[in-house]
Amino acid sequence: MSSSTPPLSGPPKPQVTALNCPTCGAAITLRSFEHAITVVCASCHSILDAKDPHLRVLQQFQAIVGEDPPLIPLGTRGKVRGTEFEVIGFQRRNIKSEGIPYDWHEYLLFNPYKGFRYLTEFQGHWNDISICKDLPVVGQGFPATANYLGEIYRHFQTADANTSYVIGEFPWQVRVGEHASVTDYVRPPRVLSAERTPGEVSWSIGEYMYGQDVWKAFHLPGNPPNAIGVYENQPSPMNADIRRAWTVFAVFAILLVGLMACFDMLARKEPILNRAYQLSPGEPRDEASFVTDVFDLNGRTSNLEVLTSSDVNNNWIYLNYALINEDTGKAWDFGREVSFYSGYDSDGSWSEGAKKDTVVIPSVPAGRYYLRIEPEADPRHPHIDYWVTVRRDVPVLEWYGLAFFALLLPPLAVTWRSMSFERSRWSESDHPPTPILQTGND
Amino acid sequence: MFGKFYLVYGFAVLGLVGFAQYRGWSLDQITQVKNIPKSVRDNPGSYRSVYSSYHHYTGGK
Repeated sequence: MSSSTPPLSGPPKPQVTALNCPTCGAAITLRSFEHAITVVCASCHSILDAKDPHLRVLQQFQAIVGEDPPLIPLGTRGKVRGTEFEVIGFQRRNIKSEGIPYDWHEYLLFNPYKGFRYLTEFQGHWNDISICKDLPVVGQGFPATANYLGEIYRHFQTADANTSYVIGEFPWQVRVGEHASVTDYVRPPRVLSAERTPGEVSWSIGEYMYGQDVWKAFHLPGNPPNAIGVYENQPSPMNADIRRAWTVFAVFAILLVGLMACFDMLARKEPILNRAYQLSPGEPRDEASFVTDVFDLNGRTSNLEVLTSSDVNNNWIYLNYALINEDTGKAWDFGREVSFYSGYDSDGSWSEGAKKDTVVIPSVPAGRYYLRIEPEADPRHPHIDYWVTVRRDVPVLEWYGLAFFALLLPPLAVTWRSMSFERSRWSESDHPPTPILQTGND
Repeated sequence: MFGKFYLVYGFAVLGLVGFAQYRGWSLDQITQVKNIPKSVRDNPGSYRSVYSSYHHYTGGK
């Protein structure tokens, strides 16, 4: 640290201690003063006993040529949770999963009045870590849980961590090659970690940080590395959306029911025509088609419902309809079938079809109209009675059904995305979710 | 962002349903035909329906 660097906030002004590496003679800076237990020479990678006046060499390791430097250089200061900290140590650690090593980085932060805390980084995901203030209680269920300050954390992963690279100073006896069993319990955005070494278990609590926030806190140039994948305690960006989406959906559903009730009350359902007819398909005839009397449709442009009912039984009747405007010559042409079949077989009684049919002609303007009807039926049946009922301005319920599903789509999409996010999270854990689609015989 | 989108989308859906009901829209298959001659009223057989070639189901189980 240069003499021009402003002091950290707080009353007395501690001084940085400058020493020399006994192995290579390079200058070594002690930023955490009497708290430092070991310090690593950045030049020759000797791990030195900071408590020894002669800086006794504890270990020397071979750093990989071209080793990436820490993303936050030692000596950098930044505000974390409102307090200024200085980066004094850095270590690279890794775990092996199915033979593949996964590296993460730990930055040791120090404030002479607040003590130590850590920043960890794995594939662009950051965590602000501090030592637990209370001892968590581990439950016996499966998957295991841990209770810390009344909050339940779910077991995520247990792995053996190996320290592969260190630089800076540390308030413990740091060694390259050091092994520890690390168990993580998650409750996004927090992670509770137990680190076990022979004879010691240390608990820490971490909270997820976004790279941009770290860069802003430490005034780092450029952009942080992009976050890859979903991290174990990364908060789901969809959680707030899910609650909001389903709440808004409930409001929309109520509004939809209100709209349906409103239009049902306002619909005129005006009877226009109600006539009974008989068809004798077996009898020879010149022309089956006929027209109804002319009727007036009044009011604004609206729909027209044509209800056809018949006493068919194991039979059918088909009607070619045309609603014709007497003045303009415009017609709405449609065909409707009424058929009903029933019987009894080895499965029991059965039936299909219906004895009535409804069709709604859309947007019919006011005017003088008549219906042209051309009935057809199986010539083997002597007589078929049928009735035609016409009503003006009726509610069409299908629109409400379609609207309900349309309103349902966004909350379903958000829920599905959130579930995918959680599946990605837990697929990296010791408790991966079962695949949705299983192939083969496994 | 999603909240705003959903609000706009939801009200658009409700508005569309209201408009469809008001205008009397229907989902049924209807064919519009223009210029039907007035003579159809006196001679209904002179009109040939679009659906007259429909093949009827004569099934049952």
